[in-house]
Amino acid sequence: MKADIFKIFWKQRRLQLFVLMGMAFLFVFNYLPIFGIIMAFKNYKLSSGVLGIFTSPFVGLKNFKEFFGDYKFPFLLRNTLVLSVAKLVFTFPLPIFLAIVLNEVRNAKVKRVVQTVSYLPYFISWVIVSGFCQIFLSMNGVFNDLFAAMGWQRMQLLTGSQFFRIIAVFTAMWKETGWWTIIFLAAITGIDTSQYESAQIDGATRLQRIAYITMPGILPTITVVLILALGNLIGGGLSGSNFEQSYLLGNTGNLDVSEIIQTYVLEIGLSQGRYAYATAAGLFQSIISFTLVLVSNFVAKRISGEGLF
Amino acid sequence: MAKRLKIRQPFSDKILDIFVYIVIAIVFVTSVYPFFLAIVLSFNEGLDGMLGGIYLWPRKPTLENYEKFFTDPEWFDAILVTVARTGLGTVLTVLFTSMVSYGLAHRNLAGRKFYMGVIIFAMYFSGGIIPYYALLRSIKLLDSFLVYIIPMLMNLFFTLVAISFFQSLPEELEEAARIDGAKELGIFFRVIVPVSTPLLATLAIFMAVQHWNSWYDTAFFVRNQSLATLAYRMMAVIRKADVRMVSAAAAGAYSTVKTTSMSVQLAAMSIAVAPIIFVYPFFQKYIISGITLGSVKA
Repeated sequence: MKADIFKIFWKQRRLQLFVLMGMAFLFVFNYLPIFGIIMAFKNYKLSSGVLGIFTSPFVGLKNFKEFFGDYKFPFLLRNTLVLSVAKLVFTFPLPIFLAIVLNEVRNAKVKRVVQTVSYLPYFISWVIVSGFCQIFLSMNGVFNDLFAAMGWQRMQLLTGSQFFRIIAVFTAMWKETGWWTIIFLAAITGIDTSQYESAQIDGATRLQRIAYITMPGILPTITVVLILALGNLIGGGLSGSNFEQSYLLGNTGNLDVSEIIQTYVLEIGLSQGRYAYATAAGLFQSIISFTLVLVSNFVAKRISGEGLF
Repeated sequence: MAKRLKIRQPFSDKILDIFVYIVIAIVFVTSVYPFFLAIVLSFNEGLDGMLGGIYLWPRKPTLENYEKFFTDPEWFDAILVTVARTGLGTVLTVLFTSMVSYGLAHRNLAGRKFYMGVIIFAMYFSGGIIPYYALLRSIKLLDSFLVYIIPMLMNLFFTLVAISFFQSLPEELEEAARIDGAKELGIFFRVIVPVSTPLLATLAIFMAVQHWNSWYDTAFFVRNQSLATLAYRMMAVIRKADVRMVSAAAAGAYSTVKTTSMSVQLAAMSIAVAPIIFVYPFFQKYIISGITLGSVKA
């Protein structure tokens, strides 16, 4: 039996080489860092080199205890969760809504142009998006001009703690709605058109057709995408934008609400050189994320009979 | 036919039509206007632009910001680095990812289940940024141009997309080539690649965009400023903006320089966005196929 496998393997050796190339890559760039997690349980200094990861003394859960005891920990956890949940709740329904609206546009050319334009922001980096924020949200920006025109005070939108989350939610909407609309629109296109025709003959209004044909028709797609989004909740939803938003839109003015675990890990690890401690903090988030993926995959299997893996 | 439908259209349908057109008008304007305004402001004198009140057209038109941008060696280097990594990185990733996927697409491959498990696990679990940093440090990738290329060679999401694409190709293609005596490498390049344009183009677009927009690797893995990318330089300006804009305004009162770091930044932003907008219409079908291929897999 074993000899057979080797025989097959040898016969496929050229093909195996293609694949082993990839496996070698994954071993180095994905699996070696996973072994590196061990430093979270050690008293590791970067100066002791890679091997130091294995030779440095174990300290058990000391780094984790220190992290949970850090005065910043409650803020970091709260900010990470609030930002993630707020973005999921407010940004998730929008692509579904836009897909339904676009499907009601009867002029095919208008529909195509609007749709194409709507997902252009997806291809722009968050750096550009935060550049846009500076134009629109500065003291003399478009939004403050609007406020002034309505007789309100001009406000420090970019550096005010009370605005960060709103800005994060709205920029996520702006950047990602069009992109996720593609999936829902594809699902709508997949609905059997004869259903619409017979509903029309029965005298159903378009609103009724949306409610009784379109919505149920795309429900499976909504479920799958929602599960995907839940799996990446801590990363910031479907496209995982928490880190970029926090890093690029965060500043000393709004740090109390904009600092999240990911940015803290970078600050404490790469800027302050406390590698072991930062690895522990990062691992805490990885474990939550991975659990969410497993749970949402389990739920997906129960609901649709098919998981992501 | 169309006429009859119109007559039968109930009142609520007309309201719906109006609502639909209002919504898509809002979507259109909000999607386009930020790009438009950034470009308009990039053609306006920097100090004047800071006063606000410009919405549709430059108030004090100038090319100064672009002049400053192109004569500044730092910005210019950033463009060269970004173009180099985008070109080289995209080609190599498309090659690497599609070759690995081609191997994995063979259902009779020994150890296939194990390989797939290795990929799926890597997709959902990582060691985190700090062990990753330690790794890059130990294999001497820190502070090197190659840190932009090598770690991005294999894209896991597109590996799955590519596997299902290759599996959808007729098996006869490969068998015929094999009978003719071709070996794997020859089959891949002469038989498979020519019929895989939709996949390869989609992968190339997404990788090119990712490389073009990337700032993260410069920020955390590269100290050598001559290797800074365009997106990184813009990021650096943004992170310092609140401090600099005040000092620029103060300095502006006494000097003849009318550009500010923000207005040069606007020129940089316009230039960074330009290639994406220009190639965008040509790649529509691949963009759509990218996400729908992916969602089938997901």
